[in-house]
Amino acid sequence: MSRRLSVALLVVMLATLVAGCGGEKGDIIIGHFAPMSGDTAAWGQMEVKGVNLAVEEINAAGGVLGRKIKVISYDDRGDKVEAVNVVKKLISEKAVAIVGEQTSSASMAAGPIVAAAKIPAVATAATNPRVTVGEDGKLNPFYFRVCFIDPFQGRALAFYAVKRLNKTKAAILYDIGEDYAVGLADSFKKNFKELGGQVVAEETFKGGEEDFRAQLTRIKQFNPEIIVIPIYYKEAALAMKQARELGINAVFMGGDGLESPTLTELGGPAVEGCYFSSHYSSEDTTPKVKKFIDAFKAKFKEDADVNTALGYDGVYMIADAIKRAGKVDPQAIRDALEKTKDFEGVTGKITVNPQDHNPQDKTIVINTVKNGKIAFQERLDLTQLK
Amino acid sequence: MFLQQLINGLSIGSIYGLASVGYALIYSILGFSNFAHGEMTMVGAFAALFAMTAANLPFPIALLVGALGSALTAVTMERFAYRPLRLKKAPSLYFFIAAMGVSITLMNTAIVALSATFRTFPPIFPIKTVSLGAISVGVIDLAVFGVAAVAVTILEFVLNYTKIGKAIRAAAYDSTTAALMGISMDKVCFTVFVMAGTLAGLSGIFRGLKYTIHANMGNIILKAWICAIIGGIGSVQGALLGALLVGVLETFIAGFISSALRDVIAFVLLIGMLVVRPSGLLGKATEEKA
Repeated sequence: MSRRLSVALLVVMLATLVAGCGGEKGDIIIGHFAPMSGDTAAWGQMEVKGVNLAVEEINAAGGVLGRKIKVISYDDRGDKVEAVNVVKKLISEKAVAIVGEQTSSASMAAGPIVAAAKIPAVATAATNPRVTVGEDGKLNPFYFRVCFIDPFQGRALAFYAVKRLNKTKAAILYDIGEDYAVGLADSFKKNFKELGGQVVAEETFKGGEEDFRAQLTRIKQFNPEIIVIPIYYKEAALAMKQARELGINAVFMGGDGLESPTLTELGGPAVEGCYFSSHYSSEDTTPKVKKFIDAFKAKFKEDADVNTALGYDGVYMIADAIKRAGKVDPQAIRDALEKTKDFEGVTGKITVNPQDHNPQDKTIVINTVKNGKIAFQERLDLTQLK
Repeated sequence: MFLQQLINGLSIGSIYGLASVGYALIYSILGFSNFAHGEMTMVGAFAALFAMTAANLPFPIALLVGALGSALTAVTMERFAYRPLRLKKAPSLYFFIAAMGVSITLMNTAIVALSATFRTFPPIFPIKTVSLGAISVGVIDLAVFGVAAVAVTILEFVLNYTKIGKAIRAAAYDSTTAALMGISMDKVCFTVFVMAGTLAGLSGIFRGLKYTIHANMGNIILKAWICAIIGGIGSVQGALLGALLVGVLETFIAGFISSALRDVIAFVLLIGMLVVRPSGLLGKATEEKA
């Protein structure tokens, strides 16, 4: 390549770079990625609706800093590799902040990408601690989240099993390929033992499997009072169905991964009476939650679920940070997100801990399945669990 | 415990079996791996599901609708994807590529048209088990065993005691000579695809009853293919035997050793079989196929 040509090319490249750095006018672009197909599609599809409702409300109220918000949503099929691809795409499309993902695995895959591009991201339902703090204990300065984390969720489940249900003999069945399941299983085990419980059997499977009877037959030998399934709803429904077929009568308990109408559709009577922790309940009567539920129903003619609520909070949390930052700049938005204090979301009050970027002292809901419907049991407060 | 795991394994094996038998049958006639056979199970499951939910038909009728739906799809596939290749005497690689194309087309059409969510049949069989001492056998499993046994018996009868069965066996033995003797290869292929499609449909429906129905159900073909090879490619009884064997061994591995090794076993078995006895369990020299 001749020198003249290379200089010309350099000039062109620099010009495009400068042009790209403009964008101080027009809409504020917020990216969003979620699994809208694949194993956890039911969640992704509900979350998109929550995100859109929040954007619509914010724009109807005049936008942020006098500018409208435009959201770009991409489907990552719940796949780690695809998650990386769509996040890169969102960054190339000038998103100043990103909402997502719901699963810990996909969020962790996107972590290094947003950190390198210096674009803040707010995970919605990703509860694994490593989403914001890596295995080496280093904080990812650009990742935040709306939800509580697994160690807290595992503690709440152990607490509920021992103190409320009086069960001290547990078995665990989980997916070894899913960060969420492994983290939650570990934290449940630790806390359950601390509270005087005993884990009699621990069985695993690999994602994509649909038959757990081999593992359940083994679990049955130990006669546990409670079987903990910190997995996602599809596998959970099948596991409960097969357990009932094998004549296992133990109580089932899981994390927020169980929460989906699909759980009862697939599991039918087999999932009746199982317990699971959650971020939110539609039976909550606080005015803020009530207003959100009504607005959602008016727009989509259905009930908002937990994913809708988390997606909705994610957008509002970013909008709140942009407002406090006073300018549409990813770095400034990141700094403002880190200083979030007493932000009133529909899933609870959020104060970001600057050390680990997790919401501090969020409340946790315990739900059950009653007559084929998800029913609110109790709202636990962190201080109760100490 | 051992007996219970055996039952668990047999029930998985019979689902594999319904898929692998049809696959083996097609292989024996056309001599290529029909990788779109997995999608036939998906079509059957969805056809039966919509027959029940949209048309409110009772389950036995829906079962027939599902089996017919996948048989019809199989015949259409044969007519438009494979027959032109067969008439042109194309090498089997072309068939293989066509099969891949059909498979990907059907799967993605299903994802676009029906979304990738998981569905299930309305409750038909109670979540009940028949208890024999400490062992429990699911009502659905009994139904699967029954249907698989009946379907394979009928298939065997057709192959061995009817005129078209004789034609099929002749075509499997040597299709060129059979055609010279006045056997219509078009008719033979049509019949084979009807039979294979019906069995695949049944496999998909029972898989839907036991687990879930979704657009990616066709992935069972990999297992069906392994089962057919282990049993002896091209042998109908072999495909069924191989499927039961894989189902039971998978379950034993998961139940007694480690579930992480579950999927490895099928491949280990496959490689072992290819090394020790390349013709499979019941595979004879190729002239005795079907």
